[in-house]
Amino acid sequence: MDLDLNDTEMSIVDSLRVLLQRNAGPARAKQLAITAEPDLALADALAASGFLDLFGDRLAGPSAAGLVTEEVCRSAGALPIGARTLVVPSVAAGVELPPLVAVAESGTAAPVRFAADAGALLLIGEDEAVMLVRGDWTAEPVASKCGYPVARVRATAAGRSLGAGSADVARRWWQASLAAEIAGTAQAAVDLTAKYLKEREQFGRPLSAFQALQHRLAECAVQVEGVRWLAREAIGLGVPAALAAGAAVAAAGAARLITQETHQLTGAMGFTLEYDLHVWSLRLQTLRTEGGGIGRHAEALVSARWQ
Amino acid sequence: MDFTWTEEESAFRKELRAFLDTLVPADYDAFALDEDEWAANSKRFCGMLAERGYLTPSWPAEYGGRGASAFEQVIVAEEMVLHGEPRALQYMSVNYIGPTIMMAGTAEQKEYHLGRISRGDVLWCQGFSEPDSGSDLASLRTRAVRDGDEFVINGEKIWTSGAEVADFCFLLARTDPDAPKHRGLSLFLVPMDAPGLEVRKVAGVVGEGAFHYLVFTDVRVPASTLLGKRNEGWSLVRRALVFERVGVAKYARGNRYLDRFMAWARAHGRDADAVIRRQFAEAAAAQEMARILAMKVADERVKGRPDSPVAYVYRAASVRAERLAMELGIELLGLDSVEENSLADRQMRWGMTAGVAGGTAEMQLNTIAQQVLGLPRAS
Repeated sequence: MDLDLNDTEMSIVDSLRVLLQRNAGPARAKQLAITAEPDLALADALAASGFLDLFGDRLAGPSAAGLVTEEVCRSAGALPIGARTLVVPSVAAGVELPPLVAVAESGTAAPVRFAADAGALLLIGEDEAVMLVRGDWTAEPVASKCGYPVARVRATAAGRSLGAGSADVARRWWQASLAAEIAGTAQAAVDLTAKYLKEREQFGRPLSAFQALQHRLAECAVQVEGVRWLAREAIGLGVPAALAAGAAVAAAGAARLITQETHQLTGAMGFTLEYDLHVWSLRLQTLRTEGGGIGRHAEALVSARWQ
Repeated sequence: MDFTWTEEESAFRKELRAFLDTLVPADYDAFALDEDEWAANSKRFCGMLAERGYLTPSWPAEYGGRGASAFEQVIVAEEMVLHGEPRALQYMSVNYIGPTIMMAGTAEQKEYHLGRISRGDVLWCQGFSEPDSGSDLASLRTRAVRDGDEFVINGEKIWTSGAEVADFCFLLARTDPDAPKHRGLSLFLVPMDAPGLEVRKVAGVVGEGAFHYLVFTDVRVPASTLLGKRNEGWSLVRRALVFERVGVAKYARGNRYLDRFMAWARAHGRDADAVIRRQFAEAAAAQEMARILAMKVADERVKGRPDSPVAYVYRAASVRAERLAMELGIELLGLDSVEENSLADRQMRWGMTAGVAGGTAEMQLNTIAQQVLGLPRAS
């Protein structure tokens, strides 16, 4: 076991951070949210530098793809990043993918992230996952304040089957990918809240000096660290069923806690569009419900471990 | 990043597990026994573990170990807990009392104590907490006063586990009452049969004889029992506890209980209950979170980063994991959980003490607030 990033992973994260500093961030996320748009420029920049296609890369592989997922979420990139870096590549090896892809349960009536803008849609059924290309589905945009452009989808073509058993593979990567997305997103929410507590003064001292508040944010930090390593482990080991579902259960629970706590600690300022917290906190509300949410992940975990 | 065990580590686990399967009865649980019984078992089991090199594998070869890595120590911790912790409190001597003696002891102290610990011949207890000094440990008032070739100890210690069966006490006492509180403390290796040292049982709800009250009345110990330099006990304790942080694999114990709870649920037709299944999942995910953070602690140790705050993060996650397992047990067994030594009753005791034993959860959160989040000390 070696839980430090290796040289390849380290250099990927370093150069990615430079790219994200230039091309992402909460201000840009807020701007795009006004018109419910994905960040096509960011997607192109990531694609041009090869950051979207590390999953099948001999040197980098899924672990590096997971790190990219965390980092893009931390920088509030308005992209279906985990779907593109982890989930779809897990069942579509060797297929050239468009910069934006969406993932959904087949037959779902619920809103799907980025479904109106994606170039491909992975539909996960009972046994098989199928890949639809643009034109194979219709997308009806749904108004949402929860941080991502979402739309209801209706498939108009059968799509290409990715083979028997592909649904299970895709679902496990989806669970791990959600955990990585939540880890990155929640980290940013916690970091911003720590900064706020240090700056905001009441009763003549910074909020950060109040132990009651420190402890609440410290509990959030524990969850972020735990989810990050659960996601990395599940991805690093090729998503064994119990580990992937376990990461997703922990992540959905952490997202619930961290949305509540970061808003509580930030007070009314956190509810304004001017302040950045909502960029991450509301995305957590979406991420915790995707893929069936904690109930579905929980069932997957219990089935994998005890049956 | 690499999350796999090496072939050597996997082989070591397999071999250790096979031996423990033969050594320890299937449903053994040291801490469900009374003190005399687990203590006697501990010495017997530890002797056999020591003979095969399983008691102190992480110790250097010169002290009877083979310099096994922190990851192998994790494997030992997990496998022991999965077999009901046959070492009982002996893990303390192995994990941090012995290593602290290696770090700071005189040749004579090493010669006398390390062999005894590595053979599993002795049990130690820890004399840190006092009636008025809990989380604020450095405020402790037990005094050790130099008198010729001896120190004279007066004071009280409390919440000491295993004191009635221990051979030695790893004692923290004040040697300079005029120095700032952290700078006037020293460590002593005190024999429990020293005249003037009285041990009383503290009746409690978490197990008969789980902890004790120690009264030191003019207890005279040779000056050679002082460990390390006089008045430098605090920094030594802090370094010692770095060795402790891999500690007991509580998540492995939690997982053992979850498996037992599932067997109970099946036997009672409750395993399809959606609410219960959700609780199983949340408790299982919490154990996994504690487990992977324990690996992170071990990794930081292997890489020589003793100051990493991840140990505190692990402890906080571990408290939550134990409590979720407790909640599941109580919900699942219902009124059957109140029966003494029922499965849920045992996990209830672990869950109740989780946030207090070995340093309160609040102290962990204070450190996380400062070292992970960069917040100031609370005022």
